[in-house]
Amino acid sequence: MTAPLAVQAARLGRDYGATRALEGLDLEVPAGALVGLLGPNGAGKTTAMLLLATLLAPTRGSAALFGCDTRRDRRAARQRLGLVFQEPSVDGLLTVEENLRFAARLAGLREREARAAVRATLDRVGLTARAAQPARTLSGGWRRLADIARATLHRPALLILDEPTVGLDPEHRERVWALLDEERRTRGCAILFSTHYLAEAEPADHVVLLAAGRVAAAGEPALLRRALGAAVVELEGSGAAGAVRLLQCDDLVSRAIRTDRGYRVALRDAHAPALERLAAAPGLTRVTVRETTLEDVYFAVTVCASDDAP
Amino acid sequence: MTSPSALAAVRGVVARDLQRALRQRSRLLGGLARPLLWLLLVGTGYGAIARLEGGVPYHAFVFPGVVVMAALFGAMLTAIGTVYDREFGMLRLMLASPAGVAAILVGRALAAAAVGVLQGGVVLLFAPLAITITMGQGLAALGALVLGALVFAVLGLLVAARLRSVENFAGVINVVLFPLLFASGALYPVGGMPAPMRLLARANPVTYAVDLVRQAMGLAGEWRAVNDLVVMVGVAAAAFLLTALLFDPEQRLIRARRNSAVA
Repeated sequence: MTAPLAVQAARLGRDYGATRALEGLDLEVPAGALVGLLGPNGAGKTTAMLLLATLLAPTRGSAALFGCDTRRDRRAARQRLGLVFQEPSVDGLLTVEENLRFAARLAGLREREARAAVRATLDRVGLTARAAQPARTLSGGWRRLADIARATLHRPALLILDEPTVGLDPEHRERVWALLDEERRTRGCAILFSTHYLAEAEPADHVVLLAAGRVAAAGEPALLRRALGAAVVELEGSGAAGAVRLLQCDDLVSRAIRTDRGYRVALRDAHAPALERLAAAPGLTRVTVRETTLEDVYFAVTVCASDDAP
Repeated sequence: MTSPSALAAVRGVVARDLQRALRQRSRLLGGLARPLLWLLLVGTGYGAIARLEGGVPYHAFVFPGVVVMAALFGAMLTAIGTVYDREFGMLRLMLASPAGVAAILVGRALAAAAVGVLQGGVVLLFAPLAITITMGQGLAALGALVLGALVFAVLGLLVAARLRSVENFAGVINVVLFPLLFASGALYPVGGMPAPMRLLARANPVTYAVDLVRQAMGLAGEWRAVNDLVVMVGVAAAAFLLTALLFDPEQRLIRARRNSAVA
């Protein structure tokens, strides 16, 4: 018998009045998987997460967490769930330990279990020395770590994290991801996250790119990068549009995207022939060749089609 | 709602809300100063001009009302924590807990009622300065105050149920609190009010709390104590159900979808 999926959503959608926030999301997250929801602001990421977190009712479609329907069996679904939202959800008037004790009781842990879980979590997250400190006196990074501690305290089988590293310095971002990796490695916890730092989504098993409430692309990051192009050339200068046309004439371009500074050009194959052409192109102030990234995929699927033709 | 996880959640919410309330000392002290100032300034001023039936001194008449007033403000204003939690995201986490909305609301109501009882109880300690009551009457008044504070706590949650910002709550709660206080018989007898205001007083749950506390202290009441009890329990139950519905509109949407799917 196969284990139920951590998340299984079929045509999951939500309207707010006349506004269609999420069109219809199909998503499968196996136990222990790392899955990223990407897209610009207003793309529907937070709506998708609130639907999966049982906090919003879908207008259409359905979702289940470990086989528990998010509408009919909300309590069972919630027992397996840990949540982190964009804004830190620790109470500044309470100490770190009191915040965790509160989270343990909310999760339904008995007093003895709660005490043990709080101690173990403080230790695991590295907050023991700050346990008696009022949460309002913590730095933003430590507050976020306290938030992650709160969400993982009851050892959920699924973590849903909406931009967990927003506003953090690189050191705390690293610490957050190290904690999340440990949750996956040691307990097989599935993680569904959103982020605007696209490099954070590169190690994901699967990413879903949303744009205007619709799935614009989905798959393994490596496959999405490969499908866009073998390499990317960034072009700047008054001759950038002409250079792109030159490359397009030779059928070297997979996709050209206009940016504020010039063009990002995804190349079909190796970059050497393109560089030969560009050497003779006039009016270029900068030509940079690099590997295709998830950020290029993001721009390719979320930038308006009318913007990308030279 | 009575599962171990729900009880743990209720306990968690009560502990957190009380910790928050006790750490906001200036708010707590302000809540105690308000009724005592009222008793001192308004009680003394009105005492000089008010003539009540049966020759009851005004400060003795108004004392139960001031005790209820302390509990009313203490319990209802504690609901600001719910709006704060909604505004800053904490409420979402609480509502996403396995315990569910009812457990969260029970916890919040108990904590707010405890704050109300604390503030009303401290004022009650000043009883010897205004009225002669026995220890038994004092304890009966405390019991009535507990029920009253619970009603006020649920009414506070009802006001907070759909408000999204602390500023909105501050604006709305004053519009609610002062009519509840002034049209309650706390400060002047309901029987002496003009007819329209008397109707208003009869529809006001605070009137029944004041009446119950007043009777517990051995003063004459407007209605029988059992009448007050029934009204207060009924109002608390109805307000709780309404609050639970307003708190969780998504649950209603789910039910509506389920019903339409069945149909």
